[in-house]
Amino acid sequence: MVDLIKRAKELIETSAVKVVIGYEQGTGNKTRALFVEKAEDAGKLIFDSRCVQNLAVYITKKEIKEKGKMAIAATLPVMRSIIQLASEFQVNDNNLLVLGITAESKLIEFANLVEVETFVHQYQIEIDVRNKEMLDKLGKMTQAERWKFWIDELAPCFKCYACRAACPMCYCHRCTVDFNQPQWIPVPSHELGNLEWHIMRAIHLTGRCIDCDACYNACPLSIPINLLTKKMLEDAKEHFGGYQPSLKGDHLMSTYKPDDKENFIH
Amino acid sequence: MSKIGVFVCHCGENISSTVDCEKVAATVGKYDGVAFSVDYKYMCSDPGQSIIKSAIAEKGLTGVVVAACSPRMHEPTFRKVCAEAGLNPYMCEMANLREHCSWVHEKGEATTEKAIDLVRILVEKVKYNQSLSSIKVPVTKTALVIGGGIAGIQASLDIANTGHKVILIEKDPSIGGHMSQLSETFPTLDCSQCILTPRMVEVAQHPNITLYTYAELESLEGFIGNFKARIRKKSKSLDEKLCTGCGLCTTKCPTKKIPSEFNEGLGNRTAIYVPFPQAVPNKPVIDRIHCTYYTKGKCRICEKVCPTGAIRFDQEDQIIEVEVGAIVVATGFAVKQPDFFPEYGYGKYADVITGLQFERLASASGPTLGEIRRPSDGKIPEKIVFLACAGSRDPAKGIPYCSKICCMYIAKHAMLYQHKVHSGKSYVFYMDIRAGGKMYEEFVRRAIEDDGVNYIRGRVSKIYEKNGKLIVNGVDTLLNAMPVEIEADMVVLATAGVANEGAEELAQKLHISYDPYKFFAEAHPKLKPVETNTGGIFLAGACQAPRDIPESVAMASGAAVKVAGLFSQDELTREPIIAVVNRQAAPVYSSCVGCFLCVSACPYQAIEKEEIKNRNGEVIKSIAKVNPGLCQGCGTCVAFCRTKSIDIQGYTHEQMYTEVMALLNEY
Repeated sequence: MVDLIKRAKELIETSAVKVVIGYEQGTGNKTRALFVEKAEDAGKLIFDSRCVQNLAVYITKKEIKEKGKMAIAATLPVMRSIIQLASEFQVNDNNLLVLGITAESKLIEFANLVEVETFVHQYQIEIDVRNKEMLDKLGKMTQAERWKFWIDELAPCFKCYACRAACPMCYCHRCTVDFNQPQWIPVPSHELGNLEWHIMRAIHLTGRCIDCDACYNACPLSIPINLLTKKMLEDAKEHFGGYQPSLKGDHLMSTYKPDDKENFIH
Repeated sequence: MSKIGVFVCHCGENISSTVDCEKVAATVGKYDGVAFSVDYKYMCSDPGQSIIKSAIAEKGLTGVVVAACSPRMHEPTFRKVCAEAGLNPYMCEMANLREHCSWVHEKGEATTEKAIDLVRILVEKVKYNQSLSSIKVPVTKTALVIGGGIAGIQASLDIANTGHKVILIEKDPSIGGHMSQLSETFPTLDCSQCILTPRMVEVAQHPNITLYTYAELESLEGFIGNFKARIRKKSKSLDEKLCTGCGLCTTKCPTKKIPSEFNEGLGNRTAIYVPFPQAVPNKPVIDRIHCTYYTKGKCRICEKVCPTGAIRFDQEDQIIEVEVGAIVVATGFAVKQPDFFPEYGYGKYADVITGLQFERLASASGPTLGEIRRPSDGKIPEKIVFLACAGSRDPAKGIPYCSKICCMYIAKHAMLYQHKVHSGKSYVFYMDIRAGGKMYEEFVRRAIEDDGVNYIRGRVSKIYEKNGKLIVNGVDTLLNAMPVEIEADMVVLATAGVANEGAEELAQKLHISYDPYKFFAEAHPKLKPVETNTGGIFLAGACQAPRDIPESVAMASGAAVKVAGLFSQDELTREPIIAVVNRQAAPVYSSCVGCFLCVSACPYQAIEKEEIKNRNGEVIKSIAKVNPGLCQGCGTCVAFCRTKSIDIQGYTHEQMYTEVMALLNEY
């Protein structure tokens, strides 16, 4: 990623941005997020197939925002997250420069978020084959079988909230589960508590989740919690014409429309 | 420590016949925080109310639970009792032992247990209740009436006569609406225009009414008592102050072959026109779609002939912004048009016409000066067939409802025809005769018995033309479904009354609900027939459902009283049951993260952005803020808020949670 390194260096040197967010070599064969604040650090930037962490998670963080204007090396899922975050007023053109990385590893620098949106809208969000098969399999199960599947899968969860920490959409300062007066979602990681947490998470992400799998990748127990959000994505397609992040802010699940097809809402 | 009083009502025997009220009071009396509990035959009666008042005073109660009927019924009563005894009215809750328990269950142990549960959850809730005070909203004492038909006219006059200002807007060049098109009116056969036009003039001359014709609502913001309306005054291409209404321009206009809307296409008008001679205001407008100057760039004859120089070709639409406190929607209805009835040949055969067209033929001001003549050749029809329910009561056509006015106007039409064409024969195909109304049935009988109109119970399958006659194929179901064939000279279809084009769009501008047929929805089908679900917006006339004149007028007066009631006070008092976004100490300020998903979810546009600023005026945080004037307390935002930053006052998360837990936990 010579282009990216060069551009990052320029941006820092000219003070166009205060920080460039990208990937660097981590321990072992892992990559990790890099925050380039000095021109000499730009050389550490890398990009390859291992770089799947959704970096958009950092742009809403207070510690990063405080630094000033930022640039971000953004793959398609990251760009999608940025558009969704923008529609929720969490980022804007004044504090963010998007350095897009295409599927062919080409660098595109976008002038503004509208351009990012145009780029993002060229691609539909598609569930990958392996997970699609799993969803179909779950769909064919009886209710009792499916219930057992999820109880068993979720049983080992000890609520480390890594899924929440990895998700760019979980930017709330106070999560529902942290709301304790009253404590609607039980904190302990017992059967009910785990189930309620993960169902709540999936519901809160419906119409917002861009299917980047960051939650699944972050889970230390590899619980397939991304199947829940994928299922919601499928349902959104079936019942609401599909989901695509949009700057217009016509949120899939939370937009009141007087011409809603359901009569009870009128 | 809470000191809660529980007052269990027998409601005569309504509750006590299935619920052991004494046991409820005794059991609940033992719960933590309950300082007093008692049962009584009628809690809402004077002695009942006195029990509550004295208990509040003597025991120093901090909360009250009245276990009685639905809060819809008596919550205001008991809250008032508490207020009179010095307790904040919102510290009073009602457990619905009647509708939710005694009326729906058999007498027995379980019924009483359920009653105890219902009381217990409210005892627990009341512990978390907080004193609330009602919200005061100022009221702008000007009404906006949309639509200048008979309903809009009546509503405007009634409101204006109570001393309040009215702004009446009408999309056509003249007020009058459908009623001005009618020839005579049922059941008295008095001339429609003769009774309407004095009202129209009264509107124009009333000092409290501002009339904007050729004007439409552009947008609406705000809430009950405080609406801001933007009105688009379409360009009439005319300086109304200079125009004297002499009408010279309309006689000289060379574009003369435009189908007249007022005459339902049976006559022609010019491009600069006054819709009808009695129009109010009696000043012309230029129809820019047909005017030669606007289409071809040449002509300007009207400008040359105008003695006062009132024509303004360069006039633009004007947007007027007004502040109003209440709105009456009286936009009326439309009738189904040609393409809807291929089987009846409407649109193909000139002599198959709609009821409204027949009105114009029968009207003295109409294209034939009141003589019933065929549109095709001007001959007087010897045989005429009237078809009821053309489109109406036909689920296959998508209009399952009854258009209501047709049975009566068909009888009127047939009668008018018989009165004008003595040798003529008239036939009416009908499904049922629906003549419910004062003197209505007598009117129909008069048509049948005195005027010799032939009523045939059955439907018509097909109408086709043969040798200059319209062959009507129908069936007489009272003669064992015998086929009937009539060679008619003219056929009149009582086409279904439907919602106006653009009704849906208007409803969305106003944020009022509408039914599947796009008629505007009333707040309650029986008890709130002129209110909408949006505070401060009322309905009158046929925009709500097909209505005849007396009903439209009655409804308009009803709506006017609602407006006058609203305007009777300087401030509006609203229940404080509204959503509130929490505020916390710095540096958090609020748990709201400002995603504003609640803004798009709110059906009432009640949520706006609030910027929290520091002393230097810099924005520290943007959070959601609920406008207490607009919020209806529906709770949609509460459900959507991921951070649980919004609470409905009186129904907070804490209160709801406590209620659920009181039900689930063992006591």
